[in-house]
Amino acid sequence: MKKSLFWTITPVVLLSLVVIVFSCKKTEIVQTTTDDVNIVGYLDKNPDSFSLFRQILERTETAAFLNAYGAYTCFAPTNSGVRTYLQKLGAASVDVADLNTLKDMVRLHLLEDTVYTGSFTDGKLPVITMYGQYLVTSVGLKDGTSSYLVNRQATIIKTNVRLGNGVLHEIDNVLLPAVKTIAQQLAEKAEYSIFVQALQATGHYNLLNTVNPNLAQRWITVFAESNQALADSGINSFAALRTKYSQTGNPLNANDSLNMYVAYHISDGLKFLGDIIGTATHETKLPQEVISVKLIGQDVVLNQDIFNGVLELGIKLDRSKSDLAATNGVWHDAAAHFMVKYRKPTALFWDVSSFEEIMKLPAYYKRQNYNFVRATEAEKPIKDHYWGWGPLAGTNTLSYIYSTSSSITNFAYNTDVNMLPMGLPNRPIYWEMKTPPIIKGRYKVWVCYRAQKQSSSSNMLCQVEVNGTLMQRTMNFTENRPTGTDAELEAIGWKRYIENTTNLFAARQVGTIDFTTTKQQTIRITPLTGTQNNNNLDMIHFIPVDENQILPRFRPDGSKIFL
Amino acid sequence: MKKSIIYILFLVAVANTGCKKWLDLKPQDGIIKEEFWKTKEQVKAAVFGVYSSMLESSTNIYGRTTYIPSLAEQLFVWGEGRADNISPSTFTSSDDLDLMNVNIQPVNVNANWRPLYRTINFCNTVIQKAPEVLSNDNTFTQTELDSYLSEALGIRALMYFYLVRTFGDVPLKTSATLSDEDITPLAKSPKDSILKQIVADLTAAESKAVTTYGDAASDKGRITKYTINALQADVYLWMDKYTDCVTACDKIINSQRFGLIRGATSNGITIDYNPNWFNSLYYTGNSNEGIFELQFDEQRLNPYYTMFSTIQNSPRWLAASDLMDRVFTVDFTNDQNYDMRGDGASVRAATTAVWKYTGVTPTAQRTFNQSFAHWFFYRYADILMLKAEALNELGQGQAAIDIIYIIRARGNALAATDLMPTATDKNLIQDFILQERAREFCFEGKRWFDVLRNAKRDNYQRLNILLNMVAISVPSNQQQSAQVKMQDKNAHYMPIYLNELQTNKLLVQNPFYR
Repeated sequence: MKKSLFWTITPVVLLSLVVIVFSCKKTEIVQTTTDDVNIVGYLDKNPDSFSLFRQILERTETAAFLNAYGAYTCFAPTNSGVRTYLQKLGAASVDVADLNTLKDMVRLHLLEDTVYTGSFTDGKLPVITMYGQYLVTSVGLKDGTSSYLVNRQATIIKTNVRLGNGVLHEIDNVLLPAVKTIAQQLAEKAEYSIFVQALQATGHYNLLNTVNPNLAQRWITVFAESNQALADSGINSFAALRTKYSQTGNPLNANDSLNMYVAYHISDGLKFLGDIIGTATHETKLPQEVISVKLIGQDVVLNQDIFNGVLELGIKLDRSKSDLAATNGVWHDAAAHFMVKYRKPTALFWDVSSFEEIMKLPAYYKRQNYNFVRATEAEKPIKDHYWGWGPLAGTNTLSYIYSTSSSITNFAYNTDVNMLPMGLPNRPIYWEMKTPPIIKGRYKVWVCYRAQKQSSSSNMLCQVEVNGTLMQRTMNFTENRPTGTDAELEAIGWKRYIENTTNLFAARQVGTIDFTTTKQQTIRITPLTGTQNNNNLDMIHFIPVDENQILPRFRPDGSKIFL
Repeated sequence: MKKSIIYILFLVAVANTGCKKWLDLKPQDGIIKEEFWKTKEQVKAAVFGVYSSMLESSTNIYGRTTYIPSLAEQLFVWGEGRADNISPSTFTSSDDLDLMNVNIQPVNVNANWRPLYRTINFCNTVIQKAPEVLSNDNTFTQTELDSYLSEALGIRALMYFYLVRTFGDVPLKTSATLSDEDITPLAKSPKDSILKQIVADLTAAESKAVTTYGDAASDKGRITKYTINALQADVYLWMDKYTDCVTACDKIINSQRFGLIRGATSNGITIDYNPNWFNSLYYTGNSNEGIFELQFDEQRLNPYYTMFSTIQNSPRWLAASDLMDRVFTVDFTNDQNYDMRGDGASVRAATTAVWKYTGVTPTAQRTFNQSFAHWFFYRYADILMLKAEALNELGQGQAAIDIIYIIRARGNALAATDLMPTATDKNLIQDFILQERAREFCFEGKRWFDVLRNAKRDNYQRLNILLNMVAISVPSNQQQSAQVKMQDKNAHYMPIYLNELQTNKLLVQNPFYR
């Protein structure tokens, strides 16, 4: 009996023990997908550094949205930075500071996109702040350690903190928005007094003193000349500047040269040095006049160009005195006096087959043929010659053809031509070229080619566009020049442009074009009917309308004749 | 009762037979370390495994974050990626672009040092386990052991030399990781102690190494005494120990086993170019000029086809567009007067393709199965130039200049690139050497290290060399930022790869990348 009681109780006890042990264990179910904190969460986690900024967010009622879903970039100032800032405001604590100032301050520290240091350049950030001013980045060196600077006001002490709703950069100082316009900033500096007087006299001062509420039209870039720069050119006072340029006596007149001088120093858009050098030319307030920009070594140089083979030296921008941000734009210091140049329209007899890339190959240039193959659409083997990708990959080859004996090139200028297959459905769909700089004015455009038919039935009718303007006449790479006297031919839009009289070499006048700005122009040849490989382009002439269109003629040895 | 006895007997029988195989945990298809390290053939296999590890290919897909580059690829990327001789193509990954633009972050795959530490572990294993074989195999002699040890020590030094130049302070691991139990976190060691270890390894290896293995492929593909000397020369020059560098160079020069492959010879006004120069030096490899080359062949192709070849239309790197104008220059008046090392050797000027590893002749490109160009760690021309650099630092300018002109004459360097320094103008000779090295060793993974070595000499006296290079190699809108970054000495070394930081908690990131 004793034994059986034991055997009866034991299983029950054991079973209940097992139940006790297992029943109370609670399964933990993970309900979040990540432990990452959001921007506010990160600030909360680091109260030693960010308690004050956190308070500001709370007071300006921005904490809630910075803790919600989104993609922001936040430049978070540390406590010491905020303290310095409050001192500047004259506020003892966050709670007594002016609320609107604080709101602006928060907006200036926030971007509505994620921007990592990888996309920082020498210029402005790609995204505008919520305040409506761009931030500028650079890199500074302190005690042998380099770090990113924002607006030249704050150093980034910790970069790229990736958070749930964006990215955070820790900065050591509060960023301050620009509060003055370009005009006010210039007027404050005595060393720009002559330039400022010129601004006032020509009425441009008001333009530079207003902040356009429309963001798209707000930004202005100014290239200011200091008194020293002007003095270097012998202009010691505003009176001297006025005497030199103001020919009408009324600087407010847009046709007055003083007015033009000032307008030529102003460009639309917010262009920091890091942004300026990305584009070769910038339009100015002076209609149809551009400033060209080059980066030479480390110098940003304006208006250094080659015209008709002559190098014109440019004007440097002084980096240390440039990139000064204002509420309505940015201004730079030009190290010397410069003014728009008046140039008379000059004919350009452009030998298309003497481009940089072939001239770098002395074994081929003026020696033998060479093929520039574009293996994929993305490639661009020649800087100034480009063509619309031909669906048949093998046709995407621009050939440099050179021979003194072959009948294709024997009479061509420099005995060379460029050849490009063209035409639908398989070959390149257009041929586009950038000319050397052409001075603004009205020109007749002549396309000079060596006519050739790939087969007896080939046809290659093309239209020509210059800067996107369709030319009045078509041309045909398979068409020979008609016979007739020079005058007869010119009347119907043809000429003989080489010395030899063979009618295989033809120049077709495709039309007249007005170039409104002096720059590299674009010409595009688009096939209309037919397709073939042998489109031999030798030259393109741009001749001012009031000049002789027939002469000079060109010889295979590279010389010109005037008869 | 009888029944139960039968059952028990049956159980015993089953227990004694069936489970025997079952309890044996040795792998069926491999070999374990307790059974290895018994014969000299196994030592040889292990040493060859070290070389083989240097030829390994990359894993995963280029451009993805999971990509692990191969060693041969990293050596190029580290030596050229941040320098001014290359440019990106349309197929370049953002990681590569960031590297070139001085924007590298710790997540960049180019900061992955895994292939090097893998090879280092193979070396450590040989160094630790090979001596045990002496007692197991009576036919294994001390001389043979020493020879194998010299190879492992030499390669370990080579790997650490790349690491210390690329990352600065790195973890120093000299014991083998044989099993998971050996994996422990390891902190970084300062540059000086890494270099000290390298010098110690090389000193030990030099006395043990052989001068020849009897055939060209082994002499150029395995560590010989001269490989050790070449490494010593490079290491000592990096450490600014110029006399030691010259001594090491002289050991190679005086052995009279190496020479320059004939290039250009001037016959009065005409210049005679050796048509086989490119073929023997670069296409075939293992020439009389080679000292240590990675032995890629038809069975083990190199990664350079996918990196540089324009046949596939997707080269990862191209030559800098102004390489011909700026570095080699072109004689526009006479096309028969050209620098042999430029168009058709280093670069194909017409397509700006990197040609050294992809060319068969000056115009024909290697096909995929011909992509076995060797990687050059050292060749004789390098030794001469290292010596010239050390001599210049020792105040023997004229001797240095004489060497430079030997190298220039061989390649027919054009007059436009002749700086014509006087024997006392130390800085100009430095520039001259640096420029000549850019031409002679174009794309051989030397450029960045050459520039950094010269820039950092005498406590960064000539930091400008580096800054000027960055001004050329970085896009114009980031030029100023990049220059200031480069004034921070920590920026000259790469970040530790994030993955390493996460797995080895003792590692501390380079402060520039905080």
